[in-house]
Amino acid sequence: MKALLEKKGSLAVLLVIAAALLAFVAMSPLAGRGGSLLLALLFWGTVVEGCIAAAAAGTMVNARWVGSVKRELLSVRPLLLLLAFLLLLLIPFVDSYPWAGGPGLWLRKDFFIGRNLAFLLLAYVTAGRFAAAVEANGETKTVRAATYLFVFVTSQTLAAFDLVMSLEYPWYSTLFGGFFFIEALYAGFAVSAILCILVHGRPPRTDDPDARSSLSDISVLMFGFSLLWAGLFFAQYLTIWYGNIPEEVSFIAKRTSVSPFRELAVSVLFLLFFLPFPALLSTRAKSNPYVVTAVSLSILSGILVERYVFLAPAVRLNPGALAVDLICLLFLFVCVVYKESGGTPLDA
Amino acid sequence: MTDPEKYARADEDILKAMEKPGRAYLLGLGVTASLAVGGGLLWAYQIRNGLGVAGYTHPVNWAVYITNFVFWVGIAHSGTLISAVLYLFHARYRTSFNRPAEAMTVFALMVAGLFPLIHLGRSWVFYYLIPYPTERQLWVNFRSPLIWDVFAVGTYFTVSAVFFYVGMIPDLAIARRRREGIRKTIYAVLSLGWRGTGRQWRHYNMLYLFLASFATPLVASVHSVVSWDFAMSLLPGWHTTIFAPYFVAGAIFSGTAMVITLVVPMRKTFNLYRYITDDHFESIAKILLLTSLIVSYAYVIEFGLAWYSGNIFETELFRYRALGHYKVFFWIMVACNSIIPLTLFAMRLRRNIPYLLIVSLLVNVGMWLERFVIIVSSLSRDYDPYAWNALIYRPTYVEVGITLGAFGMFFMLYLLFVKTLPLLSISEIKEHL
Repeated sequence: MKALLEKKGSLAVLLVIAAALLAFVAMSPLAGRGGSLLLALLFWGTVVEGCIAAAAAGTMVNARWVGSVKRELLSVRPLLLLLAFLLLLLIPFVDSYPWAGGPGLWLRKDFFIGRNLAFLLLAYVTAGRFAAAVEANGETKTVRAATYLFVFVTSQTLAAFDLVMSLEYPWYSTLFGGFFFIEALYAGFAVSAILCILVHGRPPRTDDPDARSSLSDISVLMFGFSLLWAGLFFAQYLTIWYGNIPEEVSFIAKRTSVSPFRELAVSVLFLLFFLPFPALLSTRAKSNPYVVTAVSLSILSGILVERYVFLAPAVRLNPGALAVDLICLLFLFVCVVYKESGGTPLDA
Repeated sequence: MTDPEKYARADEDILKAMEKPGRAYLLGLGVTASLAVGGGLLWAYQIRNGLGVAGYTHPVNWAVYITNFVFWVGIAHSGTLISAVLYLFHARYRTSFNRPAEAMTVFALMVAGLFPLIHLGRSWVFYYLIPYPTERQLWVNFRSPLIWDVFAVGTYFTVSAVFFYVGMIPDLAIARRRREGIRKTIYAVLSLGWRGTGRQWRHYNMLYLFLASFATPLVASVHSVVSWDFAMSLLPGWHTTIFAPYFVAGAIFSGTAMVITLVVPMRKTFNLYRYITDDHFESIAKILLLTSLIVSYAYVIEFGLAWYSGNIFETELFRYRALGHYKVFFWIMVACNSIIPLTLFAMRLRRNIPYLLIVSLLVNVGMWLERFVIIVSSLSRDYDPYAWNALIYRPTYVEVGITLGAFGMFFMLYLLFVKTLPLLSISEIKEHL
C-alpha cells in the first residue's frame, strides 16, 4: 500500500478521483441542498487546518512533542486543495442561505465564495511554505508558522461566520469565530495524539521514553483545551441565555428543545468536556494510549456532532451523501498521513 | 565558580535589595505615598459631599471608578496567570518575573477592591453585597453579576495571596538565615520553620503545583465574571458573547505590560542583570505581542459584527466609539493596544529594553482607555436617544485624583514589597544557575 502511495503522482490521482466522486455525489439528487457537503467541508476543514495549526503552534513555542508527529501533521496539507474544490461545489447551494438574493456588501454570493476560497488557498500556500521551512530546518520556520496561524485564524473565523452563522442570519454571536478556531486546534491536538500512538507503536513501547513523554505532553494540551473549550462554550451560551433576547435565544432554542437535536447538543458537551476532562485528570491516564485514543476520538466525534447540530436545523442533510463525503475524506486523510509516516522525526 | 559559591552569590545579590534604602527609593516612596494620601482625601471629600462631586450624568452612571476597578482587576489577573501558567509549562524565564507578578496581583487586587466601595457613594453599606442571613430574610440577588464579582474576586484574592506566600516560604527561610535582630524573628515566623529537608520540598512542590493548577482556570473564570458585569446587560456594545475571552486576553495583556513596567526599573536599580536577562524580556515580550493580537482580533470582530448585524443601535454605538465624543481616547487605545505592539514582531525591538518599557507604558495607557471607552461610550449611546447628546460625561478632578491615588497606592505597596520581601524567587533561580 505504502509503495503504491509513494509512486509519483499517485496522490494527485487519488485526489482527482476523490474530487470526482464528491462532485458526483454533490450533483446527484441525493445531496439535497448541499447540507451534507457543507458538513463534510466544515468538519474536515477543522481537522485539516487544525492539524497544521497544531504543528505551527508547537513549532513557535519549541514544544518537544511536536517533533514526533510534525511530519504526519504537515502531510495533510494537500487536502486543503480538495476542500477548496468542495467549496466551489457549494456555489449552487449558496442560494439556500436566508440572505441570498438580498442586497449586501458582505453577504453577496460571489464575495462569499471568493473570500472563503481565497483563505483556503492561502492556507494551502502558507502551510506549504511552512512545511518547506520545517523540512529545511531553516530559521524562517517560526515566521512561516506565524504566517500560517494568521491565515488559519482568519479562515476558521470566516468559516464560522459565513458558512455556519449566516445560515441563521440575522442571528450572530461575536464569539463564534473564536470558538471555531479553538475547536480546530483542539481537533489538531486530538489527531496529534492518535498519530503519536500510531507512529510510536501500538501498544506503545514502554521502553521508549520519548514517545511516552510526547504523548503525555499532547494529553496535557488536550486536557487544557477541554477546559478552554468548556469556558468558551459557557461564556457564549450563558450570555445568550441570560440576555434572553428572542432573536438571540432562537438559535439555542431550535437546537435544545427538539429531539434529536436536544440529545445531540447534550452529547456534544459530554464528548468535548465531560469525558475528556475527568479521563485525562490523572497523570497516568495522560500516557495511557488506550485512554488517550478514546479521548481523542471522543473529541473528534464531538466536533462532528456539534457541526451537525449547528447545520441540521437550518439545512437538509442526506445521511447517504454525508457518509460518502465523510468516508471519502477520511480515506484520503489516512492515505496522505500513511504516505508520510515512519520517516525521520522532524525536530521541533 | 562552584555551585555553593554561585548559590551564596544569588542569596547576596537578591537580598541586597532589602538593605537600607537610598534617596531615589525614598523619593519614589514619598511621591507614591503622597498620591495615595491625596486620593484618600478626595475619597473622604466625596463621602462628605456625595457622589455629585463625580462627573456622573444620566445615563452615564458607571464611569472612571468602574474603569479603575476593571483595569486593576485585569492587572491582578495577569500576575498569577503569568506565574502559574509559566510554572505549569516549565518555562525557565518564569523565575525572573514570577515574584514581582505575584506581588503585583495581590496589590492590584487590594486597589481594585476599593473601587466598588468608592463607586457605591455610601461606602459604609458595602456589606449589603455580602450574602448573610438577616432578620428580615433579605438576600442579595444571586442572579446579579455584581454578586458573582464579590465571590469571584474574593476567591481570587485568597488564592493569589496564598500562592504568593507559599512560593515565598523557602526564600523567607534564606532571609531568616541572613538577617539579624527583629527582622530575623519576623522572617523566622513567616518561614514557618522551613528547613529545606527532602520531605518539606516534596510537600512544598505538591502544594505549589496544586495551587498553580487551581489558580490557572480561576484566573480565566474571574475575569470572565468581571466581563459579565457588562455582557449580561442588554446594552449595545456590552451584550456580546466575546466579552469573556476578550477581557481575559486584555487582562493578560495589561498585566504583562505592568510586569515589564515594574521589572525593568527593578532590574536596573538593584543590578539584577545576572538573573533577569534580555532573553527573558524577549520571551515576555512575545506574550505581550500575542495578547495584543487577540485583543485586536476582538476589536475587529466587534466592529465587523455590529455592521454585519444591521442592528441600528449596535451600528450607531460603534460609529460613536470611533467618531463620537470619546474618539480621541478610542484612537489612542487602538494605537497603544493594536498598532504599537506590532513593532514587537521585530526581534531587535523585543530585545531593546528601553523600547519595551515604553511600549509597556503605552499599553497600560491603552488598556485603561479601553475600559473607559467600553464603559462610557456604551452608556452614552444606550436605548434612550433623547439623552444621547444632552449631557456629555466628563471626569471631574475628584475622579482623576482618586485614580492617581490608586496608582500611587499600587506603586507605594510595590516599593514597600521590594524592601521587605525577597523580590525574586531565590530558590528557583538557583535551580537554573
